[in-house]
Amino acid sequence: MPIIEASGLSKTYRVFQKKEGFLGAVRGLFRRQYKEVHAVDGVSFTIEPGEMVAFLGPNGAGKTTTLKMLSGLIYPSSGSARVLDFVPWHRADAFRRRFSLVMGQKNQLWWDLPAADSFHLHREIYSLDPKEFERTLAELTEMFEVKELTRQPVRELSLGERMKMELIAALLHRPQLLLLDEPTIGLDVLAQVTIQKCLKEYNASRGVTMLLTSHYMRDVEALCKRVLVITHGKVVYDGPLARITEQFGQAKLVKLHFDGDGVPDGLEVYGEVTGREGPVASLKVDRSRVSEVLGAILDRYTVLDVTIQDPPLDQMIARVFEEGRARHESSHQPA
Amino acid sequence: MGFPACGLAGREVLTRKREKREGGVTRYLRLWFALGKFGLLREMAFRGNFLARLAVEVLWFGIMLIFYDAIFAQTAGNPVAGWGRYEYYFFVGCYFALGGLIETLFLSNCGEFADLVRSGDLDFYLLKPIDEQFLLTCRDLDWATAPNVLMGAGLMVFALLNMPAWTFDPLLAGLFLALFVCGLGMAYSFLLLLMSTSVWLVRNQSLYELWWLFTTLMRYPREIFRGSWELVGRLFTYVIPIMVATNVPANVMAKRLLDPVLVGYTFAATAALLYLSRKFFRLALRRYRSASS
Amino acid sequence: MSPATNPPDALALPLPPARPFRKYFNIFRASLTERLAYRADFFLSTMLRFLPVLTTILLWHAIYAAAGTGRSLAGYSEDQMIAYLLLVHISRMFSSMPGLAHGIARDIRDGNLKKYLLQPIEMIPYLLSYRVAHKAAYIATSALPYALLFFLCRDYFTLPTDPWIWAGYLVSLLLGFLVGFFFEATIGMLGFWFLQIGSFLYVINTMSFFLSGHMLPLDVLPAGMAEVLKFLPFKYLAYYPATIFLGKVQGEELVWGLVIELAWATAFIVMACWLYRRGLRHYSAYGG
Repeated sequence: MPIIEASGLSKTYRVFQKKEGFLGAVRGLFRRQYKEVHAVDGVSFTIEPGEMVAFLGPNGAGKTTTLKMLSGLIYPSSGSARVLDFVPWHRADAFRRRFSLVMGQKNQLWWDLPAADSFHLHREIYSLDPKEFERTLAELTEMFEVKELTRQPVRELSLGERMKMELIAALLHRPQLLLLDEPTIGLDVLAQVTIQKCLKEYNASRGVTMLLTSHYMRDVEALCKRVLVITHGKVVYDGPLARITEQFGQAKLVKLHFDGDGVPDGLEVYGEVTGREGPVASLKVDRSRVSEVLGAILDRYTVLDVTIQDPPLDQMIARVFEEGRARHESSHQPA
Repeated sequence: MGFPACGLAGREVLTRKREKREGGVTRYLRLWFALGKFGLLREMAFRGNFLARLAVEVLWFGIMLIFYDAIFAQTAGNPVAGWGRYEYYFFVGCYFALGGLIETLFLSNCGEFADLVRSGDLDFYLLKPIDEQFLLTCRDLDWATAPNVLMGAGLMVFALLNMPAWTFDPLLAGLFLALFVCGLGMAYSFLLLLMSTSVWLVRNQSLYELWWLFTTLMRYPREIFRGSWELVGRLFTYVIPIMVATNVPANVMAKRLLDPVLVGYTFAATAALLYLSRKFFRLALRRYRSASS
Repeated sequence: MSPATNPPDALALPLPPARPFRKYFNIFRASLTERLAYRADFFLSTMLRFLPVLTTILLWHAIYAAAGTGRSLAGYSEDQMIAYLLLVHISRMFSSMPGLAHGIARDIRDGNLKKYLLQPIEMIPYLLSYRVAHKAAYIATSALPYALLFFLCRDYFTLPTDPWIWAGYLVSLLLGFLVGFFFEATIGMLGFWFLQIGSFLYVINTMSFFLSGHMLPLDVLPAGMAEVLKFLPFKYLAYYPATIFLGKVQGEELVWGLVIELAWATAFIVMACWLYRRGLRHYSAYGG
């Protein structure tokens, strides 16, 4: 049975327009204009237990809003969803015990107290068995490597350490579903790597389903096999990460090291020249033509070295965003 | 299906067992004690601040005493608004104790609510499997104002002992305590109502300022609303029963005035207010969840 | 005849150069707009402001009734007492500085001071213009409701006939603004040396309600206490202007009183500015 089933989820907001200037403010006292914003527009997907799925999308795409709807924090304007076989926005106690939501750069723990005290409170709130709690806590602090830090006030910890404590708190009650909103944002590389490792391990050993939104491709590549790309509130891609390359990575990057001091002219005919540095040229060549182009170049010139790569994931994702935006704009053209 | 599914099923069983084990009042009481303990620990982390606030509460109490002392010195022992000197002192003590309880238990939590709504951090409290009203109004105990309760109680005892021909009547004392608790319940309901409005209104004034304005109605005997103002007095006694919170218990104990209508009304109004304020609070949460992004 | 070509009178105050004036004026205008943005707050705050006034008046009715007809308490007849309690609202309108000290301390603590160091703006004049704007907006928006209140209570007032009393009253209000502003600013400056002045501020503000005469005329207090409090500068925040209006300070006494008030204001101005400079040096030493 799927852990999450979302069908046609939508959320629309009315945003009041504030007029500029003094007269505008006075006018605003009596009459207000607003426009409608479709933050989430008919999002549908299914997630099976044990999956690790990433939500990708530019800022304001609707990722966080979708996540909040799945947590029950926001009422959708239309559509339905079932999470862990509950309707999220009914917010049953039983539902809230079974999942966790962690938001990057937002702190759930008590600021002035040691993390251990927050954990203790957590235990009271979730009514956890003391022995079980101690065991889980020991496991988690060991895994995240923060055992000695739990007695320090949270405000004294670094951003990375704080995030680890947040994750521990989120996992203390053994949720079945973990929702993460930009968990590694603002963290240093080492912290990011540790957290990625721990999350992956936790998912593998305990089968906790994880859904995360992120801007960092490194997170996505390290953790998730499946990706949902959301732009302008709509899902534009839902599938394995690997296939993004196939679908949106139409070009390949070909780097050529020519014999001699410079790059010969006339390379444009083979593809888009993206860079020239001394005798090295970078070319963007359409997938289907790579072997043909390579053959032709090797025939004409002397080449010392060749490398063929997929364009970086960031670029491809950016392409996906771009296409999504173009589609959105064309459908919103004034008639 | 494999390992993840088995793990899930097993965990489901454990979770259900856990839910059955502890429920109801004991759980909330335990949680409250833990919150109180941690609240105290937090205050101790900022000892200077804590002591300063403690000093202010004591000073404020002192100022009030000086004020009323000066007033009664000038009135040559005549009762003010029908309250003799020590009867009035009892009233002041009752007000301090009630106010102290509200400030210690609820005020700071309610005051922060508006910020939580604005910043969106309210979300975290909505995710916990605990009643939101409890969590949001009781999550922190402000120990610096706790002495007010003691000082108020002390003043009440002092006033009673100084009243001519006062004897201890356990029934009356019991009634007083019941009415005092009702007053607490009413004040809490008003606080909850005020707090919930911050979901709709962007306010420049903090809840503290609004609450202070509220208490201006609670701090005087309602007999000051005489003559042409009697209507206003009735408004705030029967329609918006703010003044009842301090007036009725103090009347019962200090002046031994048992007005069955008013007493009955107090109990009824308390129940109604607690119910209505909870409903309104939940409405506010629904509104927050429809409007937030 | 611009100041550049016409050498300024040696005794005249130097004109601020045109640019900063425009800058501070823009700050004024922006603050005004900000105030109008919170409409519900405005309605609510206006309406609820008058409740405590009502209960205070009613309380004093009851007190005077207990004292007996025609009695005066510490030299205040019932009418004068009510008038006093209403007048202190006017005084406080000028002298209250909500959030000033807090804001300064917070800017220091959060490192926002940088904006004063990097931009061609000085903290104290900036805060002063901001505060003048807020006060002007507040007075302008409260003028109507207060006028209504005073009209309803007009029976309690006997307007002073002496134009000098009016002059003295207005001067005391303006000086009260300066005393209030620079006193709070001075306390705010303590934030350079103490991490948490919040608690200290809280004590001071609570005391101020009593010490300034806002709660009751200082004359009603026992003799020794009254003497001490009349010596302190807190009285300028509420008590002093009200007593001038009521005609309790006349002639030579009035002139001297205002001179002393001016002296206190100057003292606080000097202290605030001096603490600011010392504080900046201290602050930069820590690397902000």
